[in-house]
Amino acid sequence: MSLREETIQIQELLGEYCRTGEEQELPGVTPGRIQHYRRLVWNVVSDTLATAFPITVAALGEDSWELLVDDFFAAGLPQTPQVWKLPFEFYRFHADRETGKRIRKRFLDDLLLFEWMEIEVHTMTDRPYPEFVAEGDLLHDRLAFNPEHEIVQLEYPVHTHPVSQATEMKGEYYALLYRLPGSGNVQFLALSVLNTYIFTRLQEADVPLNEIKGEFARVAGIESGRYLDDALKKFFGDLLDRKLILGFKRE
Amino acid sequence: MVGLGLRRDIAEEILESRTLTPDFLEFAPENWMGMGGAWKRVMEQAVEKYPITCHGLSLSLGSPEELDWEFIRELKDFLDENQVKIFSEHLSYTKSRNAHLYDLLPIPFRSDAADHVVERIRKVQDYLERPLAIENVSYYTPVAAEMSEIEFVNQIVERADCRMLLDVNNVYVNAFNHQYDAKEFISQLPLHRVEYIHMAGHEQVEPDLIIDTHGQPIIDPVYELFDWTIGQMDPVPVLLERDYNFEDTDQIQSELVQIKGIMKKHWKVEHESA
Ligand SMILES: [Fe+2]
Repeated sequence: MSLREETIQIQELLGEYCRTGEEQELPGVTPGRIQHYRRLVWNVVSDTLATAFPITVAALGEDSWELLVDDFFAAGLPQTPQVWKLPFEFYRFHADRETGKRIRKRFLDDLLLFEWMEIEVHTMTDRPYPEFVAEGDLLHDRLAFNPEHEIVQLEYPVHTHPVSQATEMKGEYYALLYRLPGSGNVQFLALSVLNTYIFTRLQEADVPLNEIKGEFARVAGIESGRYLDDALKKFFGDLLDRKLILGFKRE
Repeated sequence: MVGLGLRRDIAEEILESRTLTPDFLEFAPENWMGMGGAWKRVMEQAVEKYPITCHGLSLSLGSPEELDWEFIRELKDFLDENQVKIFSEHLSYTKSRNAHLYDLLPIPFRSDAADHVVERIRKVQDYLERPLAIENVSYYTPVAAEMSEIEFVNQIVERADCRMLLDVNNVYVNAFNHQYDAKEFISQLPLHRVEYIHMAGHEQVEPDLIIDTHGQPIIDPVYELFDWTIGQMDPVPVLLERDYNFEDTDQIQSELVQIKGIMKKHWKVEHESA
């Protein structure tokens, strides 16, 4: 390392000033100019985060939102060289610090996570599609799932309700976010606890529904039979329409 | 050749060549690396349709801390995959005390800092197996300088034996902000090292301060400086940087045309070198 201690210190002081806005003694600067660096750096971070979390900004109001950005930028040490991934670090930072609890916005973690996941699912690297055919039978063929999806568990139903209502509805909720084939647009679907189980289990087992429906009946506490068949066909038929199921696997 | 920076807002426009018809495109790898889905499709189409140069944002060549080798490995994969021959980065730093700042901070013009940057450019060039084109950045204040900007830049590019990305607008902005002569500055640069040129618009925010925004049309004095500059040089590609305000694509296209007109005046036979 050829850098002198003094040069390192000067460079770090400028960085520190940009992140915190706290004035630093910097030698050899033109008066009134250094502030522009703080402003420019702050704008990049604040615009990136506000664009990623529009619902959170609206739910908190500009002032509280800005405090969260300030906290994060001063103490959060952004690690990613790719600024579009910064919203994830922002979410992790506030989840780890339990900011939502502290500012009495208990929905905060869930809302940040949900908004981030929309970005994540839109941008995540491509996952290979299984081979499938368009025609088949929902009960007797193996289903070809769209692999480009993620399920998130939420404590408050921020994906289905305005935050004022969601805050009063603590529980166990699931949102399934997925990428549409072709356009790559992200859609989501609210899933019940039981449907989340059925969805994940069937995908894991990779067998025709018919072979595993007995297990689903036990878990749901209902009789195996016509009623169950209809319910499963309806659920998976809907997923097929939504392109969460691409088609059928045929040997 | 006249290129244009590929930004999400104008990606569709460019791919369908509606109004904008650049000869090549420039990507910031950070904005596209590791992406799948719709944006990956856009990138693939762009790579298929146009020659590509890449302009990095986060290497932070001037930082005191270690280079981020994991990032550099990913970067190399990206450049290889997309067959990018020209890769450029800024003579600045963007990371400090283990925190990314996502903007270009001025390195103190000092000999120890120059030594440090030279070592790092060499290491990165070796690893990437392609020459780095180092860009002169705009800055709003010097910090603890012990030499002039031109000495600093020249020491680095000569000793690192790298290429240069000459940003003509940045020279104009710096000459205005720090009250020196832009042509004199350019005439002291090793112009034979210039791999390509950047042109851009800026915004004057105070009577004595211009901010390099890439959001406005190029002003006439910058075209004039460009005209004068390329009169001293062999043909190289020129890229228009535009980062926002994309509503008026006709206006952006007219900038591409104007740049090309000036190039044709000096470089009779167009060398398609990018
Ligand atoms: Fe530039």
